[in-house]
Amino acid sequence: MLTQLLIALNGLASAVAKPLLMPVAWCPGWLSITAIGAVTGIAMLVAFKYTSNQSAIRATRDRIKANLLALALFRDDIRVGLRCQGALLLGAANLLILSIVPMLVMFPPMCLLLAQLALWYQVRPLAVGEQAVVTVRLAEDRLDRLSAVQMGPSSSALSRVGPIRVPAQGIVCWSVEAREPGLHRLAFDLDGAVFSKELSVAVGGAWMPTSMKRPDRGLFELLLHPRERPFTEASPVRSIEIEYPERSSWTAGSRTWLVYWFVISLAAAFAARPVFGVHM
Amino acid sequence: MFFASPFAMEFPMPCLWAYIGPGAGFALAGSFIAVIGAILSAASMILFWPIRRLVRVLFRKRPPKKARFRRIVMLGLDGLDHGLTTRLLAEGKLPNMAELARRGGFQPLGSTLPPISPVAWSTFQTGVNPGKHNIFDFLTPDEKTYAPKLSSVEIRSARYRPFAGLWPFTASRPDIRMLRKSKPFWSVLSDYGIVNCVLRVPITFPPEKLRGVQLSAMCVPDLRGTQGTFSHYTTRARDESEKTGGEVHVVRRAGRDIACELLGPPHPTDPEKGPLRVPFTVRIDGDDAATLTIGGSRHRLKRGTYTDWIRVRFRVGWSVSVQGVCRFLLLDANPEFSLYVTPIHIDPEKPAMAIGYPAVYSMYLAKRQGPYATLGLAEDTWGLSEQVLEDEHFARQCMDIDVERESMFMDGLAKVPRGFIVCVVDSTDRMQHMFWRYHDPSHPARPAKIPAAYRSAIEDLYVRMDGLVGRTMVKCDRDDTLLMVLSDHGFNTFRRGVDLNRWLEEQGYLVIDDARRGEEYLAGVDWSKTRAFAIGLTGIFINQRGRFERGIVEPGDEARAVRDEIAGRLGTLTDPLNGTRAIHKVYQAVKTYRGPYKENAPDLIVGYAGGYRVSWDAAVGRASRQVFHDNRKAWSGDHCVDPSVVPGVLFSNHAIRSDSVRLLDLAPTVLEQFGCPIPEHMDGKPVVIGERVAAEASRVETESQVA
Repeated sequence: MLTQLLIALNGLASAVAKPLLMPVAWCPGWLSITAIGAVTGIAMLVAFKYTSNQSAIRATRDRIKANLLALALFRDDIRVGLRCQGALLLGAANLLILSIVPMLVMFPPMCLLLAQLALWYQVRPLAVGEQAVVTVRLAEDRLDRLSAVQMGPSSSALSRVGPIRVPAQGIVCWSVEAREPGLHRLAFDLDGAVFSKELSVAVGGAWMPTSMKRPDRGLFELLLHPRERPFTEASPVRSIEIEYPERSSWTAGSRTWLVYWFVISLAAAFAARPVFGVHM
Repeated sequence: MFFASPFAMEFPMPCLWAYIGPGAGFALAGSFIAVIGAILSAASMILFWPIRRLVRVLFRKRPPKKARFRRIVMLGLDGLDHGLTTRLLAEGKLPNMAELARRGGFQPLGSTLPPISPVAWSTFQTGVNPGKHNIFDFLTPDEKTYAPKLSSVEIRSARYRPFAGLWPFTASRPDIRMLRKSKPFWSVLSDYGIVNCVLRVPITFPPEKLRGVQLSAMCVPDLRGTQGTFSHYTTRARDESEKTGGEVHVVRRAGRDIACELLGPPHPTDPEKGPLRVPFTVRIDGDDAATLTIGGSRHRLKRGTYTDWIRVRFRVGWSVSVQGVCRFLLLDANPEFSLYVTPIHIDPEKPAMAIGYPAVYSMYLAKRQGPYATLGLAEDTWGLSEQVLEDEHFARQCMDIDVERESMFMDGLAKVPRGFIVCVVDSTDRMQHMFWRYHDPSHPARPAKIPAAYRSAIEDLYVRMDGLVGRTMVKCDRDDTLLMVLSDHGFNTFRRGVDLNRWLEEQGYLVIDDARRGEEYLAGVDWSKTRAFAIGLTGIFINQRGRFERGIVEPGDEARAVRDEIAGRLGTLTDPLNGTRAIHKVYQAVKTYRGPYKENAPDLIVGYAGGYRVSWDAAVGRASRQVFHDNRKAWSGDHCVDPSVVPGVLFSNHAIRSDSVRLLDLAPTVLEQFGCPIPEHMDGKPVVIGERVAAEASRVETESQVA
């Protein structure tokens, strides 16, 4: 049930994200991630305003500030100071409790959004002539068919090494070389059935959505890899994964984009807070 | 993907999961920071406490004698009358005060001459007579123009000076000078390292440095720089040209909407632009309700019910604004619209000028309990006196302010377990001023039919204050705590006003242009022929050469002769209505006061008999055509009489072993009880404090019972 729901939500998120994130393909990475960070920051701020108990948050924040000021104003008696500290802790705990509802409300859309953004920023597509490892993982009850897995012929990629089979882990690997730019599908054959995986090949570091993995039906996997439909439960193939290269950048790089987006969204929300009159 | 990536692995998973949007992220991060900060701060507090303690013991200036009490608490109930309190005690209506009297003592407290709040509370805090603290009245005439000015504070308006400071706003703050002289006793306590919490004691503005905290009271202006200007918006045709203490704005109704403007302080850079303004609209939603839109926020108005404090921001320019708080009261919605707005108080959270010490103290209170009244004379007596407000509206205003005051007082009690705490409640004074007509069966302003709710308004007020005393007693129920409940003066009926200027005119001391008789501030007076005049609540000034710009009476023998002559004649003034003496005694300042500032006092201070006071005309420097006037205003009780007529009260939870205690004696008493030396300049004598009678089990009320 949850799996079906998540598959449907991923479909919806992909449909919405496709036109919305289209400009990412045309813009410099720093610009697109900055714009997305700012817009999402403000959107989440507004969402927070309407999903939280603003008056209670304001009152709690005021009490916290009052206790902080009290610590400075009434320093002569340690018991008074410790009482203020206690009140401060209670206030902080109360603030945490008041954040639960908006957190729960925002959790699903934020997860979906981050998964969509990861398609663009987490790795970069292969360049023509560049090699990557493709791994096919079989279901545990079909490990005996490991030797039967074959990579189908493709004009977009050429197998340079492999297949290398690792029975202990139930995987078969190839090293493939990208031949043509564009979005392609790599096909794999097992006992006559064909299983495919999307392959992204770009020219000169161009931006395109890149799905690292066609997942199985685990919820976590579904959440993290929303672009391709998961394999069915009856499928002998569990997942197919391509190890794309990392993108190097201070803003939109594989190792930095999430932090950068986090900072930009925080800054945008903080700047927009007085405009929208939001208490946080 | 990103969770599983090496990048994601470098960060703790909960952080990533927790970050689900800036709002929740901030909230979450904020609360974690607060928790961690509190723990670190608590740890450092405990670690450094012994060091701080040691430093304090080694380097603090200590009182030469051991303090008898760990804490002294004073609760000032402005204007609580000794006679009425005694009667209500006898009738058993004030059980907490009775218990306090039983444990310690109760006696009249001698007030000052004149017995009015600015003078009395100045004497209370300095322990000196007015000749040394320089406060003789609310107002004093300007030596050049004869126009009245505030006697306790001088406020020069803000001037915007670009680039004068990092923040233009701070550069535009007004220049405020305290005119009260001498030194409050809490300054002496501070010198000896004793912590003080001084809440709303009159004549503490601008706030002075002390060890502890202070919130100023009387003379704190509203945002317009006045001592309180209410606004009344109405669609009714203007029937009066102006209201005292307020402004009437005739507005027009367009369908259901009324567009209005709230007037703020004068424009700091271009005074010709007039006051700063904040537009607001009111949409009528029915006979009893409306919606107020101001500053981008909406508020529901219900007829007869005050809004909470609403913040209003007057913009001076880009990034510069002045912020105030006010409350709105819908008086009528249909068919005519009528809206009352309180004076715009300085916002305690973002004060345009310091109203407390340290400056953050007002902010602390605002954060702790929300916005509160900051205006010196916070209860809008003019609104009721000018018949804009009704009794219930005024009473509600007073009671709401009392709740705010009690909240800050109780917080002071909780935060200062060792030291001195004083809090003054003003509503006792204001409500007695306004509701005495229901208390006095012979008052000229007493209506034929008294509203049931106000038949015993004054007694109810005393009972309410008894509750506050009870709650305070619960917090001060220790042998090492001295609790005193006191008032600066008592109260009396104000039936008849004496127009001193008319009397002076009749006696040939004052000459006035008959056509300009109704003008305020002595505008029509012929100074070349005038030897004496009256302005303010208490006294008569000799138009002495050298003191006033157009003075004609020579100092020395001539001035003395005029004083003696007026004092002699005025002392026998009789009310033709009933043949009673209107004046108890006329005091000469030179003989009554001692100290370097006695020359600034009115030359003659009039001690009225009970039922009399200076007339409304004479108080503002007008001269009418008759000496005696019936007082038909709601302002029906007063205390501007001879001090012997209106003694205050003094309750204590420890026995009082002195007779005839005066307000003057309390400052040296507190100093002595804390073991501090009493400065030689103080005129008061310390009261002898005895022991406390143990509470009887059956009489001890719990906090909840008192509440």
